[in-house]
Amino acid sequence: MISLATPTASAKTDTRFAPARLRRTVLEMAYAGSTVHIACAFSIIELVSVLYRNHLRYPNNDPRAEGRDYLVLSKGHGVMAQYACMHELGWLNDSHIKNYFADGSKLKGLSDSRVVGLEVTSGSLGHGFSVGVGVAMGLKRKGTDQKVYAIVGDGELNEGPIWEGALVAAHHKMDNLMLIVDKNGFQAMGATDDVLALGDLSAKFESFGFETLEVDGHDEATVDAAIRQLWAIGAGKPKALIALTVKGKGVPFMESDNRWHYTRLNAQTYAEAIDALGLPGDSK
Amino acid sequence: MRDAFSNALIQLALSDPKVLLLTGDHGYALFDEFRKRCPEQYINAGIAEQNMVGMAAGLARVGFRPFVYGLAAFIPIRPVEQNKLAIAHDDLPVVLLGDGAGFVYSHLGTSHQSTEDIACTRAIPNLEVLSPADRFEMTACMNYAYSANCPVYLRMGKSDRGDVHVCRIDPLSQGRLLKVRDGRADRPGLIATGSMVRTALEVAQERDLSVWSAPSLKPLSSDDVYAATCASNGLVTLEEHSVLSGLGAAVTEITSERQPTRVLRIGVQDTFSKHCGSHTYLLEEHGLDNQSIIARVDAFFQNATITS
Repeated sequence: MISLATPTASAKTDTRFAPARLRRTVLEMAYAGSTVHIACAFSIIELVSVLYRNHLRYPNNDPRAEGRDYLVLSKGHGVMAQYACMHELGWLNDSHIKNYFADGSKLKGLSDSRVVGLEVTSGSLGHGFSVGVGVAMGLKRKGTDQKVYAIVGDGELNEGPIWEGALVAAHHKMDNLMLIVDKNGFQAMGATDDVLALGDLSAKFESFGFETLEVDGHDEATVDAAIRQLWAIGAGKPKALIALTVKGKGVPFMESDNRWHYTRLNAQTYAEAIDALGLPGDSK
Repeated sequence: MRDAFSNALIQLALSDPKVLLLTGDHGYALFDEFRKRCPEQYINAGIAEQNMVGMAAGLARVGFRPFVYGLAAFIPIRPVEQNKLAIAHDDLPVVLLGDGAGFVYSHLGTSHQSTEDIACTRAIPNLEVLSPADRFEMTACMNYAYSANCPVYLRMGKSDRGDVHVCRIDPLSQGRLLKVRDGRADRPGLIATGSMVRTALEVAQERDLSVWSAPSLKPLSSDDVYAATCASNGLVTLEEHSVLSGLGAAVTEITSERQPTRVLRIGVQDTFSKHCGSHTYLLEEHGLDNQSIIARVDAFFQNATITS
């Protein structure tokens, strides 16, 4: 594994994607819709924050722009984190947030590509990454400089097609593709080490031919620097960013408590969670 | 028929550089000409059908026109969830090509035989299902699959049965039955698909029956099935596929709602092949040889005559 260069300061001036703001939007949606998968969204908040703020290019802020970069959320369970970013970009409005899961509404509990701004239909795991591999292959054939980011969960790495796709990405020298593993250590029914141990992920992806970095997935500056570094090195190789994360990150009573994969908020836990984010104006 | 397939694919690829052929490491001699003439449009995606189908969806998302080739035992079956989610749900123009359908790989056993592929594709929304009977239908189906610009599964069965049409079909009309023989209206009419159209013609010759070919299993024209019902004394469906959820099912779904009619479904009776042997041998094992079919059609007709 290559070592990480000194992190460069990220563009902190853009506060739209501040992690606490994104987490608040997730909580608002989850409470409004009485939904689950809050912890799955919280572990990737800093990852999507850095991607949307500093890396993903959408010409004219158009989520359908032909020349855009692609963010493929293969772990569809984290979709509320992506909705929160789309809300910051103005692609979703307050009504979408307040009416999450209302009858006849369009935003679902898992990624659905018919929602403009989402690139794949996922949630059944192991699907999105292959689509991302195909998009990356297509963009390379077109000779553009567009990039593809695919966020997969560590639990999702149980699925065989991920490894099929990894072979293909390396064989076809897809250096426009970055796999980002949300390594929060949990899957639906327990710790990944207890369910199906993944071993040394960095070594695995390196052996598949990926340029690989392992970083703290909640340190924005580090994540940003790692993404820049991975694009800068290893011509002809796909990239793998192993992001060490905490499931439920940001609200102490949810952190590494796998019940928040499934638990719904009530009035009290909602208020406590909002309070824990420490955003001005939100404290009791 | 396989030449018609290869030629159609080459013509499409030459006329549209966005056409890509993805294969799951199959088609050894079949694609020699394609590889020679369109080498940049040929992708061997490895023995990894699930990833290949997802990848085809990604390629279609950025404007390419993937044709995904493999055995009918694999392409519509193993990645059925990718077919549903990555391709059909998003209505992407990907053509799935399943070769060797039915008992073509008779000596290789169950892993390579496919008598459930129509069932596994027909219930997926947006996905059209084609099953050509001869070289003319093959060319028309390939051109249709390209211009339909939607998800398509094209089933290729036993390819050396000979022609059932006398001239080219241009273009294929969506969902339509093609009449290939006029027979007596007081006897059962035969509706067949794929390799069994040839069988249907041979059986019809013996008993002077009408025959329709169904190159499109989904959609299937309700009006055409209704018309066939009106022009016959009962219907017999023939397919080298399970009688569950295939052509027979599609026909009875229409007749039961529109013109309740006795329908004899001839196909595989919800069972795997028991023995190794030639294609002809396996057809006999499953009661799909001409003599067995004639006996069943006769019994069906006599029963229909008694009860009508």
